[in-house]
Amino acid sequence: MSEAIRESRLKKTLSTLGRGAVYIVMGLFAFMTLYPIFWLIMNSFKTTREFQVSQLALPRAATLQNYVEAWKMGEFGLLFPNSIIYTLGATAGIIFLSLMAGFAFAKLKSKATKPIYNSFIIGILLTTQTLMIPLFLEVNLLGIYNTRLAVLLVYIGAGLPIGIYLSTEYIKAIPSAVVESARIDGAGFFKILLKIIIPMSVPVATTLAMLNITNTWNEFALINILVSKTELKSLPLGIYKFSGSLSTDYGKQFAALTIGMVPMLVFYVIFRKQITKGVAAGAIKG
Amino acid sequence: MASTNRAHREEGRAYWAMVTPAFALYLLVMAFPIVLSVILSVSNYSGGRMFGGERWGFVGFGAYVRVFTDPWFWNALKNNLYIVLVSLFGQLPLGFIFAYFIYAKIVKAPGFWQGVLYVPNIISVIVVGLLWQTIFSPHGPIGEIVNHVRVGNFQAQLKSIFDAAGGFSLSDDVINKILHLAGPAGRSMFSDPVPELRDLLSSYQGQPMNDVYAALSNLFVQKWSPAFLTKPDVAMLPVLFVILWMYTGMYLILFLANMQKIDGQIIESARIDGANESQVMRFIILPALSGTIVNSAILAISGSLSSFALIFAMTGGGPSRVTEILSIYMYNNAFLGRPNFPLANAISLIMVLISFALIALTKVVEKRYGGKED
Repeated sequence: MSEAIRESRLKKTLSTLGRGAVYIVMGLFAFMTLYPIFWLIMNSFKTTREFQVSQLALPRAATLQNYVEAWKMGEFGLLFPNSIIYTLGATAGIIFLSLMAGFAFAKLKSKATKPIYNSFIIGILLTTQTLMIPLFLEVNLLGIYNTRLAVLLVYIGAGLPIGIYLSTEYIKAIPSAVVESARIDGAGFFKILLKIIIPMSVPVATTLAMLNITNTWNEFALINILVSKTELKSLPLGIYKFSGSLSTDYGKQFAALTIGMVPMLVFYVIFRKQITKGVAAGAIKG
Repeated sequence: MASTNRAHREEGRAYWAMVTPAFALYLLVMAFPIVLSVILSVSNYSGGRMFGGERWGFVGFGAYVRVFTDPWFWNALKNNLYIVLVSLFGQLPLGFIFAYFIYAKIVKAPGFWQGVLYVPNIISVIVVGLLWQTIFSPHGPIGEIVNHVRVGNFQAQLKSIFDAAGGFSLSDDVINKILHLAGPAGRSMFSDPVPELRDLLSSYQGQPMNDVYAALSNLFVQKWSPAFLTKPDVAMLPVLFVILWMYTGMYLILFLANMQKIDGQIIESARIDGANESQVMRFIILPALSGTIVNSAILAISGSLSSFALIFAMTGGGPSRVTEILSIYMYNNAFLGRPNFPLANAISLIMVLISFALIALTKVVEKRYGGKED
């Protein structure tokens, strides 16, 4: 009996120790995640001179001068609206086109569904970035290099595979009786799409919005080859400008990086649950 | 009969009206570039207008031969492979273990861990790349921390030497001990160390001890410069570290979401039947997640193929091209110096073919595991 008690006590001690070790490892990881971000924001309020003296201390006299200068140099006043246009435009386009095609794939009969739908599925793993050189040449060939249209078309096209996959699977689960009874009442297919399917698809539309807002806002590789004019550039392109010769002007660089990071951090804090749900849904399929 | 026919036609028209916009755009962005890269990779196109400009045409498969005989191609492929290995043996297992800790309630506050560890994923990779570039640079905080510790150690040892001597003393014994502490590099600063150091220290007579310590550590402690990203033999390590740092949280989210789909009652009843933690893991959780694990592995491989911006921002492929990956190798061939579009398109197509091979692999794996659970 006492043997058993001792054993269970040992087990308990071990599990407490194990739990402590788990907290330490995960805590270390969490610290490594948060500290660099904190460090970046903190140093963005220091002058470059003060940064060079000490990078770990809190700023002695916080200055906003870095932000003023970085905003001007990066021309963020121009880039911010562009990022918003690209993000909202691409996200809205992807959601609408995906729900529309998804409705057709899920509820309308056609022999074409199988090959077309499968070609979209293939596109999920075929990342557009591997195609950036031919895309660059294609956009030039079509005469839409350096246009917002090209950026939006490419972003929407790249977002469609996962959008169509998730929409089709979602709409398939809506009972066909809903569509059929609306048909009997004399409703056309577009009316059914707009009045019934889209309102019922808000959850999947939310998932797609979360996935595409974060992806598009942060996208760099494609827009980098699609536009070269400042008035068409997005925020990540502007931030990249602070890498080369400006990279030793730490104050301004940190302010620029913070400007690039904060909008998404705020978005994440507000929509964390929906974003992580979208990630889990979006990564499921290969 | 006529009315069903009309309804049929209406359905067909609606179908194409709904599918065509998406499909056309998809072809424009995915299919057409692939066709274009096939054509250009076997041509001698060298930029400029494609029609009506300089004439160009078919020249054969020379670009592919050049890619496969270029050591830099294999260097880039090797770096992509490193990224895959870090994903498969770093991000995935860590993400899985962390997810399990949260799922099994070994740690409290599940929302906190999920929320924090996912943060790097929502920050622009350009910001991440430039941030870590600074952290790993000679001007970064790592160097400051290390040097701070070194100076602290050195001064503590000095203090114990002087304390043992009962305060500021320039006896041979103290001088020798300081020189010993300074090491060979420190001693080599003098031609005749003992008297020269005594001369130097005598000027500090009567000053606060802290000034003496500071002066000696300035003189003897060698500043360490953590130039990770500028040393070719180690530059890939910080890059891989950042990739691990960035994406582990994503796999955590993925695994946790799928663990939470497991019916809790199965685990409950297994426990009642006397199953321990490792048996639950082995016979319930792992089989339930096999499809997710395989999918994540394939996602990790295709993710490594598409990765570009992080390394582009962090190292630009340098120093001396050691951190170049396939996408940067391709980009540089097209945009750096004289453009070599046939070569760049050949690289692009090779990457596409690797993706297709992966997709085929997914299909095989899916059949075997039946892993289509969602």
